[in-house]
Amino acid sequence: MSIQEHYRSRAKELLSSGTVKMVIGYGTGSTPDRRRPVFITSPDETDRLVLDKACRTNLSGYLLREGLLSDQKQVAVFFNLDGVRSLNILAAESQLETAQVLVLGFRIEGEEVTALQGERAADFKSLIAAAKEQRKSQPPHELQEKLEAMTPKERFSFWEAEFSRCIKCYACRQACPMCWCRRCVVDNNQPQWVNTSSHTLGNLEWNLLRAFHLAGRCVECGNCSRACPADIPLHLLNRRMSDEVQGSFDHYPGMDEAQEPVLASFRKDDPETFIL
Amino acid sequence: MATLLYSASLNDCIARWREDGLMVFGPSTAGGVSGFREVEDAGSLDLDLVLTRSTLKELFFPRTEPMLGYRIGKQQIETEEFIPPEGRRIIFGVRPCDAAGMQVDDALFDWDYHDAYWFRRRDSSVIFSIACTHSDAFCMCTSLGLAPDSTKGSDVLLRPLAAGNGWKVEALTERGENALSSISSLLKEGGDAPAPLTDVPVKFDLEACRRWLADPENFESRFWKEISERCIGCGSCTYLCPTCHCFDIQDEGDTYQGVRRKNWDSCSFSLFTMHTSGHNPRATQSARWRQRIMHKFNYFSLKFNVNSCTGCGRCTRECPVDMGVTETLQAISTLQR
Ligand code: SF4
Ligand code: SF4
Ligand code: SF4
Ligand code: SF4
Repeated sequence: MSIQEHYRSRAKELLSSGTVKMVIGYGTGSTPDRRRPVFITSPDETDRLVLDKACRTNLSGYLLREGLLSDQKQVAVFFNLDGVRSLNILAAESQLETAQVLVLGFRIEGEEVTALQGERAADFKSLIAAAKEQRKSQPPHELQEKLEAMTPKERFSFWEAEFSRCIKCYACRQACPMCWCRRCVVDNNQPQWVNTSSHTLGNLEWNLLRAFHLAGRCVECGNCSRACPADIPLHLLNRRMSDEVQGSFDHYPGMDEAQEPVLASFRKDDPETFIL
Repeated sequence: MATLLYSASLNDCIARWREDGLMVFGPSTAGGVSGFREVEDAGSLDLDLVLTRSTLKELFFPRTEPMLGYRIGKQQIETEEFIPPEGRRIIFGVRPCDAAGMQVDDALFDWDYHDAYWFRRRDSSVIFSIACTHSDAFCMCTSLGLAPDSTKGSDVLLRPLAAGNGWKVEALTERGENALSSISSLLKEGGDAPAPLTDVPVKFDLEACRRWLADPENFESRFWKEISERCIGCGSCTYLCPTCHCFDIQDEGDTYQGVRRKNWDSCSFSLFTMHTSGHNPRATQSARWRQRIMHKFNYFSLKFNVNSCTGCGRCTRECPVDMGVTETLQAISTLQR
């Protein structure tokens, strides 16, 4: 049985038995190569579910939709390992209880899509630990190497040029499961911390602020880069911040739901005497 | 016989216009993203694109622009008004749907208030559109009563020649004629055959959709939630739409000096309708999506007798979760039957 068939029948079982009230997965899109999030609530509709290598979107953000989890019922969601990590972070940050989420796990490697063993966030612990080790030895992105070799001034003008295209749509934020603040700091106007205008300063403020806020929380799922209509290589920023956090604190975000957020916790043996 | 512009002469045309003090803009790609930018020669133009990622509207309605500067001194308050630069511009290689979008927004910006920022730029720009010989799966001008060779909003329409070596030139307005007269020595007369236009299938029955939208019964329909459940409210569809025109006025600076700016805004954002009290009349994403559709195909159409959509398809093409006007109107068309 193909992985798609396997999960279609599992989704049917889960819905017919009443174990879950909804399955959040992928369906066909408006062109053959596009996939779109679908919300299945009836066992008769599970044929709409699609699982193949085009299913890239991290769906965990939908779990925070107003009221979805407030009835304590369970929801099943299609997740790759990054998705499971984002689920763990949302739980660690008290945004949901993993007990309410059933994971339909998959992994995409080239053309190959395989099922991940387990259905609860905690079942993926060893896979995530392996991913952490693998990330350490991951060769840097080509452009990343180029950036590292630049002088700070050159690097600054690289980012200035990239951010100049930003149109301040905040699609990156809306697409990011970790951007769960009900009211983002840029939406505050008393006081107005960040310029809302899409000029050089405003764009720089926004993108750097978001990168900092995501440090140690980003799971590198790629939702933000894919959503950015200006094709700004946001993944490079995220990757750099993740490298920093992993190098300095051996922190790989989303290991489990008990993991302390790296920038929001303090230890007595911290080499810094003050919060930076 | 018709007037022709051969591609080989385009570079000289651009040079001529620039000598005359005009700025020339056209579709070009920078940092991997296509949009309308100033060009110095024909080589920088990307005329084979079906459509640019960002739209023509940015040249008339920039994403942020200063309107007013203020400085409060001990004795007096100084203000400075920013008026858009007056430079005359040629915009070459616009697609008919983007040009039509200009005409849609003309109605809005000249409604209860004459928007000088918009019209100053409109009056000093000449739009050269190129009829489409290629389209993609998202194009839907024909569903909106337009066509790959619509002339709405254009000053000159160029029809590609079958041999791929130039265009048949049709002046549509006086502005267009003037722009052509300065390059008249570079234009030729000839009977070259035009290339066939692209075939864009009609995707929905617009009139049926409009009837459904105009029926107050349907305002609270479950349809809205179902069709927009996956919308993440990212605003891309509005910022990349050639006709979406909402803006916000923001003061930047401190008590003593600053700038008042006109910035793009979007009905997809929850903050768009948030009251100071905390109450939000469009509290859910589906209410916001309903607004976008209602505004384009019901309210705007009733008020200005034109739909605020030209079928460019960008809202679907660029949506990170594969939504868009097309799917919604197709679904409404089916509800009708
Ligand atoms: S910042 Fe981007 S890559 Fe990181 S979790 Fe958010 S959407 Fe995913
Ligand atoms: S998605 Fe891209 S263009 Fe939009 S605000 Fe984020 S960085 Fe800017
Ligand atoms: S319809 Fe798509 S592009 Fe528009 S706001 Fe929703 S998610 Fe973003
Ligand atoms: S609503 Fe969509 S298809 Fe219509 S003009 Fe705007 S972006 Fe183009």
